[in-house]
Amino acid sequence: MTGPGARALEGSPRGGALLDEFSYDDDVVRKFLFASVIWGIVGMLVGLVIALQMADPRFNLGLPFTSFGRLRPLHTNAVIFAFAGNAFFCGCYYSSQRLLKARMFSDALSRIHFWGWQAIIVAAAITLPLGFTQAKEYAELEWPIDIAIAVVWVVFAVNFIGTLVKRRERHLYVALWFYLASIVTVAILHIFNNLSMPAGPLKSYSIYAGVQDAFMQWWYGHNAVAFFLTTPFLGLMYYFMPKAAEGPVFSYRLSILHFWSLVFLYIWAGPHHLHYTALPEWATTVGMLFSVMLWAPSWGGMINGLLTLRGGWAKVVDDPILKFFVVGITAYGMSTFEGPMLSIKSVNALAHYTDWIIAHVHMGALGWNGFITAGMVYWLLPRLFQAPLYSKKLAELHFWVGTFGILLYVVAIYSAGVTQGLMWRAFDETGRLSYPDFVETVARLVPMYWTRVVGGALYLAGMLIFLYNIVMTWRRRPAMYEVPVVRAAPLTREVAPEPDGGKLGGVFPLRLHRRWERMPLLFTVLVLVAVAVASLFEILPTFLIKSNVPTIASVHPYTPLELYGRDMYIREGCFNCHSQMIRPLRYETERYGEYSKPGESVYEHPFLWGSRRIGPDLAREGGRYPNLWHVRHFANPREIAAKSIMPSYTHFATSAIDWVVIPKRIHAMAMIGVPYGDAINNAVPMAKAQAAEIAAEIERAGGPAGLADREIVAIVAYMQRLGQDIKGASGKGASVTGASLKGAPVAAAPTGGK
Amino acid sequence: MKLSDIMAHAGLAGYAEVAMVLFLLAFAGILWWVFRPSHTAEYRRAARLPLDDDTSLHPEGPRAGSDQ
Repeated sequence: MTGPGARALEGSPRGGALLDEFSYDDDVVRKFLFASVIWGIVGMLVGLVIALQMADPRFNLGLPFTSFGRLRPLHTNAVIFAFAGNAFFCGCYYSSQRLLKARMFSDALSRIHFWGWQAIIVAAAITLPLGFTQAKEYAELEWPIDIAIAVVWVVFAVNFIGTLVKRRERHLYVALWFYLASIVTVAILHIFNNLSMPAGPLKSYSIYAGVQDAFMQWWYGHNAVAFFLTTPFLGLMYYFMPKAAEGPVFSYRLSILHFWSLVFLYIWAGPHHLHYTALPEWATTVGMLFSVMLWAPSWGGMINGLLTLRGGWAKVVDDPILKFFVVGITAYGMSTFEGPMLSIKSVNALAHYTDWIIAHVHMGALGWNGFITAGMVYWLLPRLFQAPLYSKKLAELHFWVGTFGILLYVVAIYSAGVTQGLMWRAFDETGRLSYPDFVETVARLVPMYWTRVVGGALYLAGMLIFLYNIVMTWRRRPAMYEVPVVRAAPLTREVAPEPDGGKLGGVFPLRLHRRWERMPLLFTVLVLVAVAVASLFEILPTFLIKSNVPTIASVHPYTPLELYGRDMYIREGCFNCHSQMIRPLRYETERYGEYSKPGESVYEHPFLWGSRRIGPDLAREGGRYPNLWHVRHFANPREIAAKSIMPSYTHFATSAIDWVVIPKRIHAMAMIGVPYGDAINNAVPMAKAQAAEIAAEIERAGGPAGLADREIVAIVAYMQRLGQDIKGASGKGASVTGASLKGAPVAAAPTGGK
Repeated sequence: MKLSDIMAHAGLAGYAEVAMVLFLLAFAGILWWVFRPSHTAEYRRAARLPLDDDTSLHPEGPRAGSDQ
């Protein structure tokens, strides 16, 4: 199957001229280029909005679909999958065709890939603000969209592998290895992390619960960084950096070593996102060890990229493309030094749940992904649009504005992360928390949040200059793009003289030919083995060992109303700012109460441990405050805590509970093993009874009347349930102090974890 | 005896070390494979692939994607 462009040209007589004639499909490359930059601007604009929301909560606008919890996943998904994704596809389609000396396998598949991916992005942009989410970071999209992603990804894979098979270049250049490994691994990660039980057209529950779900999520989450933001862009670096530097890569051997070491190591690293949580210690130790080892290949790759410039450093002064590449690769080096450091447990104890992690990812995303994309696009513009770049000066301006933007962003947010982390763990001379009121540790960050707004705005300004430069170059394009005819010798299956005169394989030509034919298959199998060995090595024990998740007799499933409230918590994206995982560290147990046990989350489909504390941990929130406190707090958090930056949720008190969905959801939960018993047939009456009880209590306490069918009672029911299961009960291996649940500072709680 | 019982008694204290040794073996294999001297010529040619892709194929014709 070949595209229309190639059909006219291919099939020259094999006997006489040995060369095939064909052309490259640059049309799809141009499409991906525009998509990347436009979505990038949209995603970064949303990022700027949520940065403003953290600096001043009024920017939440009081509307349900513009609150931070709903927009933050839109920002992350847009920049990862729309901006970086389309940039990768753009560079991949351009370079693969040239490295393989073949047009893409099918023009139709290329178009399906392009339009399918854009349709998925539009679906994400609609469903995320409306609150349809699976509550797993970077895997928020609900099950129908997940299926669409899998289908489009398979289309891409078939198109790419088909091109490998019909290639005219025997050797697969190392960039192609990075592309292929990314395609194969992302497919595996996406499918296994998104296995879920549908409970409606846009609602589902992860089939995994608690510890297992956390493990799967961060196995996925870390490797989304690895195989969506790192390896694809390394492939781009290994192709476009030599292009821009006009010389081959510093060491081809090092690039191969870089590749295999990354593929072997990355998959193991996921558990470092779960240090000191209820994940078993052996798993986090494996994750830490492999994360630290990752430092070596990452820096090998960075050095390889930078030294490709050898002898050509003077060119960096004049060439904005090289500037983008040098800073981009340096950002890769800084992020991959920092990543292993953050994976060390004692560093992680300080950095986890703080803005330090946010600064880390932005160094990677803005510096590495953003600048590699910019360098690549500036290099591509004259070639794709067959006209000189509109303005080199504007490209230089883009570079400097973007670089200052990154610096302002990361310096401010590193400071914010370290500041808050240190404030959380500070004790005064009497042994009490220095900052017992959580909101103090947030208010301290507001100046840094404003600095981030400035940095982010600068970066976005750079992107707008970028788009202007692209559009103006595009306007200079010829009336009709020239489609150059490329000639290359086909790779024959018969014994034929080697193209290089037989120097390499002349002695064993037969063996060599078999080798090139099998190479993509062998290569795919090796990548699969590396990924599968690492995954199974960690996943199997996590799922098989009973003792990993000691059951606690007093832990019961949520009531139907609490489950509805929990789904509201998911819908509003509360998990983006609130963790539900108290680490066994003294400053955490002092602040929040008894540390979280694995057995407490056995019915948590999906787990809601969270990864950032913009607000306090909620694992022991139940019973801490009266119902009416929650009603008032949701309506206007600043009425309770003046410095709070939480959005107002006035619509909770006005929107009606959708009783119809409750039986479906209970049923779906029961299908994945939550013991609901007769609640399955009795869900709505149970929920209504509990709602009436809570509403009556709120009214008795002097609150508003008539809330029994309003959503506020469901979320209050859920809030009051959190942490209550082991209150006063005795969890396996740990005594639980009831006092610690009341919010008052208590004497030294046990600090396990070792 | 179920698999989960076997796993429960396996004792995973040294699990990270086992994983590390596995990786080091794989890494040693990769090192040997990458640094075999017999591949030098092939690597030298391969390293030039991105640079050769729009010039060497059709020296007589127009350059594909040529610079302005």
